[in-house]
Amino acid sequence: MKVKHIMVIDDSNTIRMSVQHTLKELGYPITPAENGFDGLNKIQDICSKGEDVAMCIVDVNMPEMDGISFVKEFRKTDQFTPVIILTTESGSAKIEEGKNAGASGWLVKPFEPSALKTTVQRLIR
Amino acid sequence: MLRKENSKYGVPMYMLHPGDYYVTDQKCLMGSIAGITAVVCLYDPGRRIGGMGHFIIPGTQGTEDILFDDISKEGILKIEYIMGEIVKLGGDRKDLKAKLFGAGSYPGTDNNPLTLSRSNITFLHDYFRNEGIPIIKESLGGRHRRKVLFSPVDGKVFMKLLENNMDASKFIELEKQYVDQVFRSGDTYGDVIMF
Ligand SMILES: [Mg+2]
Repeated sequence: MKVKHIMVIDDSNTIRMSVQHTLKELGYPITPAENGFDGLNKIQDICSKGEDVAMCIVDVNMPEMDGISFVKEFRKTDQFTPVIILTTESGSAKIEEGKNAGASGWLVKPFEPSALKTTVQRLIR
Repeated sequence: MLRKENSKYGVPMYMLHPGDYYVTDQKCLMGSIAGITAVVCLYDPGRRIGGMGHFIIPGTQGTEDILFDDISKEGILKIEYIMGEIVKLGGDRKDLKAKLFGAGSYPGTDNNPLTLSRSNITFLHDYFRNEGIPIIKESLGGRHRRKVLFSPVDGKVFMKLLENNMDASKFIELEKQYVDQVFRSGDTYGDVIMF
């Protein structure tokens, strides 16, 4: 069976670590990235090893490439892998932008660990 | 937050109350009074962007992994708000520097002041170490309130220790209201929206 990674893309190391901490019992390898651009590069590395991405958890406000731009880029080559936005942004215009870019869901920080875990379990296959 | 257009310093002045945060790339001063709460000043000196946040984490016991503890979420969230605005103005977390004030310990709160102070100081140190953001200056703990003035575009800070709570009676009341609210809102989380 193919190894499937959960991407955790956030410019905060603290958030990356706490998401990792929350999801570790699900048993998926977790690949952290610091911004959208770093995330796309790491996804490319994963695919070139013959492995796969099970899901992406992505922040919005990041330097170099923000989360919405990441989703747009990612969706050019992958229409099916779930992408959850995890952000402090809660404005309806931003959420609409995320939806239109092709995100699967929107979680507002602070996240409840059990809610994140349930959402991931529900979307992942 | 109070905004004074014509402060005596010749630039706009923003007075942050406990629970507030503010970020800008405009020349101004931000001020606050930190009691048992913490005032965090973050700035990107190269890009001349900075922000201040005023918060407390409701930690009544020392925990080992304080960053993963639920009590830390108020602190992480407030700093995330500041970082988010800094990023929107073109800043980068990697270039930020921090100056930290407050987390004083003195009687008068309902909770054990020493453990509360210690939890907040531990949180701040762990958080900024974890983010790789250098702490350029700090004045934390002890039985003081601190009046802080911060110039966000260059990171300059003027701090005064307040003895006997002078000049701070309004802040003491606001701080009490804010701290009570944080302690009560333990299980408040953000929304989950599925598309
Ligand atoms: Mg961010």
